[in-house]
Order: sequence, then structure tokens, then C-alpha cells
Amino acid sequence: MPNVQELNLNYNAILPELCVIGAGLAIMMYDAFAPKGPRRLAGWIALAGLAGATYSVWRLWGLETAPSFNGMLLTDPLRLTFSIVFLLVAAVSVMFSMQMLDDERLPAGEYFTLLMFGTVGMLLMGGAGDLAMLFLGLETLSITTYVLAGFRRGDLRSNESALKYFILGSFSTGFLLYGMALTYGATKTTNLAGIQEAIATGALTSPGLLTVGAALMLVGFCFKIATAPFHFWAPDVYQGAPTPVTAFMAAGPKAAAFAAMLRIFVMTFPADGGDLSRATTGVLVIVAIMSMIVGNVAAIRQTDIKRMLAYSSIAHAGYALLGVVAGDWTSVMFYLLTYAVMNLGAFGVVSLLARVGDEKTDIEDFAGIGFKSFGLAMLLTVFLLSLGGIPLTAGFMGKLVIFKQCWQAGHTTLVIVAALNSAVSLYYYLRPVVVMFFREREEEFVPPRVSTMAEVALTLALFGVIYLGVFPGRLLSELDRLAKRTPAAAQLNSQR
Amino acid sequence: MFATTLFLLQQVADAPTRGPIMGYIPIALLFAISLAIPIGALTVGKFVRRTVMTREKMMSYECGVDPVSDARERISIRYYIIAMLFLVFDVETIFLFPWAVIYDQLAIFGLIEVLVFIGVLVVGYYYAWRKGALDWV
Repeated sequence: MPNVQELNLNYNAILPELCVIGAGLAIMMYDAFAPKGPRRLAGWIALAGLAGATYSVWRLWGLETAPSFNGMLLTDPLRLTFSIVFLLVAAVSVMFSMQMLDDERLPAGEYFTLLMFGTVGMLLMGGAGDLAMLFLGLETLSITTYVLAGFRRGDLRSNESALKYFILGSFSTGFLLYGMALTYGATKTTNLAGIQEAIATGALTSPGLLTVGAALMLVGFCFKIATAPFHFWAPDVYQGAPTPVTAFMAAGPKAAAFAAMLRIFVMTFPADGGDLSRATTGVLVIVAIMSMIVGNVAAIRQTDIKRMLAYSSIAHAGYALLGVVAGDWTSVMFYLLTYAVMNLGAFGVVSLLARVGDEKTDIEDFAGIGFKSFGLAMLLTVFLLSLGGIPLTAGFMGKLVIFKQCWQAGHTTLVIVAALNSAVSLYYYLRPVVVMFFREREEEFVPPRVSTMAEVALTLALFGVIYLGVFPGRLLSELDRLAKRTPAAAQLNSQR
Repeated sequence: MFATTLFLLQQVADAPTRGPIMGYIPIALLFAISLAIPIGALTVGKFVRRTVMTREKMMSYECGVDPVSDARERISIRYYIIAMLFLVFDVETIFLFPWAVIYDQLAIFGLIEVLVFIGVLVVGYYYAWRKGALDWV
């Protein structure tokens, strides 16, 4: 039994998580003790907590890779870069949610508490150095998102969404946990570094057990990131949930699951330099191709914009898998950052245009609003073009980086399929644009109210899309520098 | 016969040294025995006993009182809230036990950590209290 000194307790390393937890608890207390009335301060407390967390991530930035808390938490470039994505997603979701909660008189205290705890779950997943920690983070995240999806208690669609997400999410968690248990059985440890060492030295109780464990974990993660053929929950859940929650779900938990996937399938398993990583890569190639094709083809036929964006998110999970296949975490991280920015923007505009209670989410509802609500229509156009991957936007740069990495890793067919898919996807991304600008409107149209916070959030998203699309150089070279500092599994192998 | 059984049990007891799966044999045996006893008792009883079917006997048992309605009733939401509050204390106890066992090794550090842990749970408890989860009527 290690004594307290050997546990490697490092409170600096969990300062981002502590900030966010502190904000969550503060909101709970504020909610409990404030007099009756809307909880307008809750959102600000959340933003303050996220700002504090961002500052503490920034303070960790230059440090060497180090495990803490008995190897439970790993402070490395992957954790820090993904933390920035999670905190950004959370902050922008908070800004969009403030208006929705205000308009619909939903309990803001509960909402922001759940959002904060979900963010803690994501942060822990990104920094997990142990399967137990990873699972803990995943559950913290999942349970809060189940509740957030059903937050519009009086709305049947929201209830349906929450229940579906809960049932299928628990199901996939079961797969994941069983996979972890079998991996533990095969390697006698839940620590990722320990697993890597056991694989590299061949000290396994049974290689078959590890393969089955890896397969089950793969299924679990593919559920969580909503890739075909495990995508069936995504459209219903994304459509039914309140739109700001959908924005959060499509960007945050997906990125968190990708971070966990990178840790296991890119940084741990390739240590054997052979069969296991070949097998998982082979499966991931098929999953990526299916996901891109199913997502894009199904999105063409959608009439509801939230459903369309849900299918597009399935397709984007397929694109992001290209980076996992290539075994390069920086390109996946960059892709998810670009995806988060443009997706948050698109869902944000939709949440404003859909009005109170998400009444108008049909693409036809947006007919002819292009010149009546010019700002919002232009923003939606930019975000949709970015999702489609038009040059000079973030979406294009993300795709370029990830396609390049995948091409260099030798998966040429995969890249060609992805490029063709991305051309097909332009058709459905342009449809709402055409409907908005080139269709006559029969009914009356009053431009929606846009609160200051929503304006700030949209500006942030727009800035992100343009900045990442036009000047990605600085960020990419920084990522390159960080990637060189993370020893890949293969290098660890050759050092032995 | 007895010697054989003893020998087999001895084998089972030595099993964990011979591979991870073998360690589960005692559990499998326990499962088989616990399954066999009720099934055996019911089967034997079926041949031995006399069956008398009266209305009173076939009624579902409800603490001696005649049942008044179907068992599948709607249950008040409060039961779930109480169940969740129970979890707050349940989880607390589960985590306090291991701490109490190695209390002397963790020393003052452990005490502070546990106080923080209890503090977080108290926040949850106060929240539920202020939100009216304990107002029964």
C-alpha cells in the first residue's frame, strides 16, 4: 500500500477541474438560497468558473508530461489542448443557453449546475491516465447530458430525446465497461501506461481476451461519438433536445469521447506493433467509411434542420476518425476544434431562428428570411459553408489537415472516399442557404430577439471560423511542437 | 465417494494458481448448489404434499390484510426523491469505510480530504432540502 507521499497528489494538475466544480457548487448554493425569481447570475458564475479553468490550463501549458494521483490523471499536451476545446464548448453553450432559459422560464440554476458537472466529466476524460478515471469522467458527463436533453420537461420531444439517449447511452456504457473489464483481465492493470507496458512486453494473461476487450471498447466509443452503424440514437436525440443543449452535445461529449479513444487506440494499443492495432485500424476504416456515407446520404433527405445537422455530425465523426486511423492526435484535435466552433455557431443561429420552444425547425420555415434577418442568415450561411468545407473557413482547414495526415499514413482510398463525401455534403449544406435567400416568403416574419450574450457567442464562433480558416498557421505549428513532445507508442517501443 | 468429493474440492481450492478462469470454479459451484436446493425442495414437495386450492389461499399476501387492489399502482414521485437522497448518504458511508480502515496512515491529510468530501455531499443535501425534497405533503 503506497503511503500518501507516493500517491503524487498535485493540486495544480486538477486546478481546471476544481474551478469548474467550484462554479457548479456555487451555482447550486446560489440556486438554493437566492429568493424566488429567475437565476440570472447563474450563467455568470458558470462563465467565471470556466474562465478560471482556462487560466489554470494555460498555467499548465509549458509543463512536462507528468502523471499525478497515482497515475489516475495525466497532464500532457493531449489533455491540455482538448481541455481548451471542452472549455470553449462549455462557455459558448452557456452564452446561448442564457437567452433560452430566460425566454422559456426554465430553471437556470439546475441547468448551469448540470452543464458545469458535465464539463468536469469531459475534462477528466481528456486527462485520464487510467481506465477507471476514464469511465468515471464518461459517466459524469453522460448522466448530466441525459438530464440536459430532457430539460424542457413539458415538451414530449424533449422527454423522448432524454429517454432514448439514456437507454442507448447506458447500453453503450455497458459495452465499454465490459471491454475495460476484459482488458483488465488480460493485462492485470487498469493504468494505461501499465497496459501499454504489458502489451509491449507481451506479459498478457491471454491475447484473445485483450482483443475482445479492445473490440468491446471500440463499440462503446463508436456509440458515444455516433458513428454508423451505431448512430441510430443521434438524430432523434439531437432533434428533441433543446437546441443549445444539442449544440453542446454535438461538440463537447463527442470531442471528449474522441480524446478517450485517442488515448486508448492511438497511444496505448499500438505498443504491440502488430495484430491488435492492425485489427482496430481495419475496423475503424470501415466504420469511418460507413459513417461518412450514411451521414451524408441521410442528411440529403432531411426536412428538419436539426435532424440534418445531426446527420451531418455523424458524417463529421467519420471524417474525424480519419485522424484516429492515421494515428495522429493533433489532426483530430484540430479537426474537433474547427468542428466545435462551426457546429456551435450553426446550432446557435438555429436556436435563435427556431424561436421560443424550438417551434420552427423545418428548413421551409426559413424561406425568404435572408434579407429580413440578414445578419443571422449570413452567419448561418458562413457556418454551413464551413461545415461543408469551403476554402477560407475553419471546416476546410480541418479537413485539409486530417486528410493530409491520413494520406501520408497510406490510407489513400479512405481519403478519396472522404473527399467525395465532402463534395456530396455541399448539396445539403447549401439547401438552407438557397431556401433563405432565393425563396419568397408567404407568412409574416418578425426578426427574432438576439440577446447580447448570444451576440457575443456568435461573434466568437464567427471569429473562430474565420481565424482557423485563414490564419491556422500559428496554432498548427504550436500543435506540431506539442506533438513532438508526446512520445508516440511506436517510439517508446523502439527505445526499449 | 466421500474421498472423491474431498479430492475434487481440494483441486478447486488449489485452482487459482492455474489460471484466472479456474478461480471462478468455487463461485460456479456455489451457484449450482444454491440453484439445486430450491429446485430440489420444490420438486420433492410437489410429490409429497396435498394441494388444496381455496380463494383465500390464492390471494396475494399483504401483511395479513385482504388485498384491496392491483399491485401495479402508480407510486408517488416522492419515493424516488427519497431513494436519491438515500444515495447521498449511502455513497458517503461506502467511501468513509475504507478511509476509516486506514485512518492512521492517511493522518491529517486524509481527515481534510474526507471533510471536503462530506462538505460536497452536504451541499447536495442542503440543495435538496431548500428545493423542498423533504417537504412530504
